[in-house]
Amino acid sequence: MQIVIAEDAALVRAGLTEVLARCGHEVVAAVGDAESLRAAIAQHRPDIAVVDVRMPPSYTDEGLRAAIALRRDHPDLALLVFSQYIETRYTADLLGTASPRGAAGVGYLLKDRVADVGEFLDALNRVAAGGTALDPEVVTQLIGASRRTDGLRSLTTREREVLALMAQGHSNGAIAASLVISDRAVEKHVGNIFTKLGLPPSDTYHRRVLAVLRYLES
Amino acid sequence: MDGVLWLLREPLRRRSWAEFKYVIVSLPVAIAGFTFTVVTCVLAVVSSAVVVGPLLLALLWPGARRMAAVSRDLANRQLGIPVASPAPFRLQPGIMGWIRSAITDAASWRARAYLVLRLPVAVAGYLVAGWTWVGGLSGVTYPLRSAILLQTHLPGAAAAARPIASLPVVAGNLLVVPLGAVLLLAAPWLTRVVVGLDQVLMTRLIGPVALTERVRDLEQKRAHAVDDSAARLRRIERDLHDGAQAQMIAVAMKLSLARQDLDGTAGATNESQASLQRALELVDAARGITKEAIADLRDLARGIHPPALDHGLDTALATLTARSAVPAQLVADLPERPSAAIEAIAYFCAAELLTNVAKHSGARHATVEALHVPGLLRLRVSDDGVGGARTDRGGGLAGLAQRLRTVDGRMTISSPPGGPTVITIELPSHA
Repeated sequence: MQIVIAEDAALVRAGLTEVLARCGHEVVAAVGDAESLRAAIAQHRPDIAVVDVRMPPSYTDEGLRAAIALRRDHPDLALLVFSQYIETRYTADLLGTASPRGAAGVGYLLKDRVADVGEFLDALNRVAAGGTALDPEVVTQLIGASRRTDGLRSLTTREREVLALMAQGHSNGAIAASLVISDRAVEKHVGNIFTKLGLPPSDTYHRRVLAVLRYLES
Repeated sequence: MDGVLWLLREPLRRRSWAEFKYVIVSLPVAIAGFTFTVVTCVLAVVSSAVVVGPLLLALLWPGARRMAAVSRDLANRQLGIPVASPAPFRLQPGIMGWIRSAITDAASWRARAYLVLRLPVAVAGYLVAGWTWVGGLSGVTYPLRSAILLQTHLPGAAAAARPIASLPVVAGNLLVVPLGAVLLLAAPWLTRVVVGLDQVLMTRLIGPVALTERVRDLEQKRAHAVDDSAARLRRIERDLHDGAQAQMIAVAMKLSLARQDLDGTAGATNESQASLQRALELVDAARGITKEAIADLRDLARGIHPPALDHGLDTALATLTARSAVPAQLVADLPERPSAAIEAIAYFCAAELLTNVAKHSGARHATVEALHVPGLLRLRVSDDGVGGARTDRGGGLAGLAQRLRTVDGRMTISSPPGGPTVITIELPSHA
């Protein structure tokens, strides 16, 4: 997999490069600011970009804005965004610009997650494959922000847990393992969620994405 | 009798002489100050047509202050009148800040006013002191001087030939003496009037400022201190992010890699397998601690300065309400951003109030409103809980009220038993 890394802290940048290289990925560019990120994407056309939200010069949300712009300009580019903090507004901005075709994956993770190489690579692969990877913290906030929505309110606690894991980008199997229930039970919950959120039967993956997006509309 | 003696002694007192000397020395100083002020102001007005006027004024502010200082020093040394200096000049950062602070420096404008108004006073003082002292002295000594003049200017024979004719002249000369004495006795008092006038100008214009201005000055300084500390907290947060947090994440990544490596190897003997297992456990423990440290650091940094505040109070409040333990709704309408320090105070107030809602109110729902009212930021946190919130001494709300007072903020609480609780905080848009 060809990867571009944008991260302003040199130590973390080097660490990420090392981790990815060890796992057989090709880091085609590792840059420290948004401008270089845009240039590197245009030049290398990677499969996925790993972007830190805070970058120079103002260290607020340069990375995020760059990521949103990239999503517009390169709809096929998968994006994994890292942040020291999860801000609800940033989540909405990033996921609200889901590419029209819904083909390219997107992830938004707390920076801590790179500390766990296995988890990080798992998220990376999911996003590269066109899926989503949302930090549990992101999901907590989204649920917090969406408690007023009727559709979501009608979900049971268990269904909400399933939806939360779904939003993080986990497959049914992973959700079953995580909640210690059977695959069959997960499928049942997922079906209920789709029904309660009023998602028409169609391609299952597409409905999963829509269910996640339902959080954001609230 | 005492009064007469006192009157007679006045011209001989040291104070009178000091005042006389002061008045004499003042004139050249006053002329220099007047000329400097008038010339520089005229130059500035003329050159403002080519934009450099303000710059010129800004360049010359120390001159006005320094000249005022010379006058204060003179009064202090000659008369022993201590006139305190005005507040020291406060420089704002950046070239524009420097120009602005130099031009708006009240003390140097007051110094200019003093330097201009002082000239007529100094001229009057010079004339009054000159006429009274010199006139008085020459009057008193006139007979003596004229006798000496006669003696020296007329040939000895002529003087001897007119001994009687000189008698009325001498008598007339003697009449000048009381006139001179009166002038001499009045001299210290007249001089003192002028010196007093100068002193009034001095305390009004180049001394420390009056109370209201002092209050304004202190308010400015407080705003500066508040903004400064907000900026410092922001810097600390950024340093933590760039430094310790990044380093901890790098450490955690290395540990994670080490774990993978260890996991992939198998010991040749049972012993080495056991030590490998121990190493694995140690690495796992280290990784766990590192992760906790990263989370702790993040909470610490967020407590110092939530980075989302850089993006605006509404962004930061959006996350705050989404994370709230009690479902909370945010209504934000902030077309104008308050100063960073005010945003930070408002944010921490909202955080504290939401925590209170979760802890004490038993509410099922809370609302956070942040509205811009001209000149004010109004923050309102309401809940549908049990009510009964009070500002007890030492309680959380009292601490909040105290914190608000540092920037002239206000808090009003409406929390009848049974609820609902509405706490409204009003902050000036700028500290």
